[in-house]
Amino acid sequence: MSAPAVPRRPAHPEPPGRLVAIALGGALGTLARYAVARAVVVPASGFPWATFTVNVAGSFLLGVLVTLVTERWPPTRYVRPFAAIGFCGGFTTFSTLAVESVRRFEHGAAGTAGGYLAASLVAGTVAAAAGIVAARGGVGPRRAPAGDLPDPDDMGTLSHPEPDDLPGEAR
Amino acid sequence: MILAGLVVAGAVGAVLRYLVDRSVQGRSAPAFPVGILVVNVSGCLVLGTLTGVALHHGGTGVGWLVVLGTGLIGAYTTFSTFTYDTVRLLGSDSPTAGVVNVLVSVGAGLAAAAAGLALGGLV
Repeated sequence: MSAPAVPRRPAHPEPPGRLVAIALGGALGTLARYAVARAVVVPASGFPWATFTVNVAGSFLLGVLVTLVTERWPPTRYVRPFAAIGFCGGFTTFSTLAVESVRRFEHGAAGTAGGYLAASLVAGTVAAAAGIVAARGGVGPRRAPAGDLPDPDDMGTLSHPEPDDLPGEAR
Repeated sequence: MILAGLVVAGAVGAVLRYLVDRSVQGRSAPAFPVGILVVNVSGCLVLGTLTGVALHHGGTGVGWLVVLGTGLIGAYTTFSTFTYDTVRLLGSDSPTAGVVNVLVSVGAGLAAAAAGLALGGLV
């Protein structure tokens, strides 16, 4: 009942810099998403182009970034927390997609809601795959063979050396 | 003021997503992204509730909804990790998991958003 909680990953305590990098990226991604939402005015029953654009662009960018970080670039400490988890995660949004869809259903614009959902899912998935392919096709040395895709939020403790454990200078 | 609120809310939302994802994902099979599923569905419920409250009290153009909804919950939930995970699963040994990820995320997300909107309308 009162047994102390056992940490699941005791071998990898949270480096404070990682959370700071995620916070900075998240703030920037949120500002960028807000800028797009301000620039693209969407009527209450219209197609939500702002969220659609942000989500598809962010999916492509995350595909590129995770592939570069895990397969092509030398190990880095902050690129993934800042750019992938922070910026791409903060730039794109799932909750706004869901609420916008439900509100269009409730406004009697079921066609717009269904089309918005389907287009977001198809275009977002294709964009993520295209980002992976684009990053693999670029020039430059390859660090790891292209195999099973890595988890974008995994810090790399499974497939390649933990950047924070690397000796020498911070990258 | 709105921009300052968005900066803070976006930073907190992203860190919260990372911490919830890591805490949930640590207890489950690594193959299926249940951490991001929990993040996204819980965020849909909260954003639906906040939007329902705002609609019930005049409209969605209010500053607190921009900061908490667009900023905090917008940054907490994520679409790019969801699509990336779907591609990863579709290309894995069990591509069915990719289809399941889409169906469960969208189904539960829509249901949570609708429940939140109804709940918020009562406040």
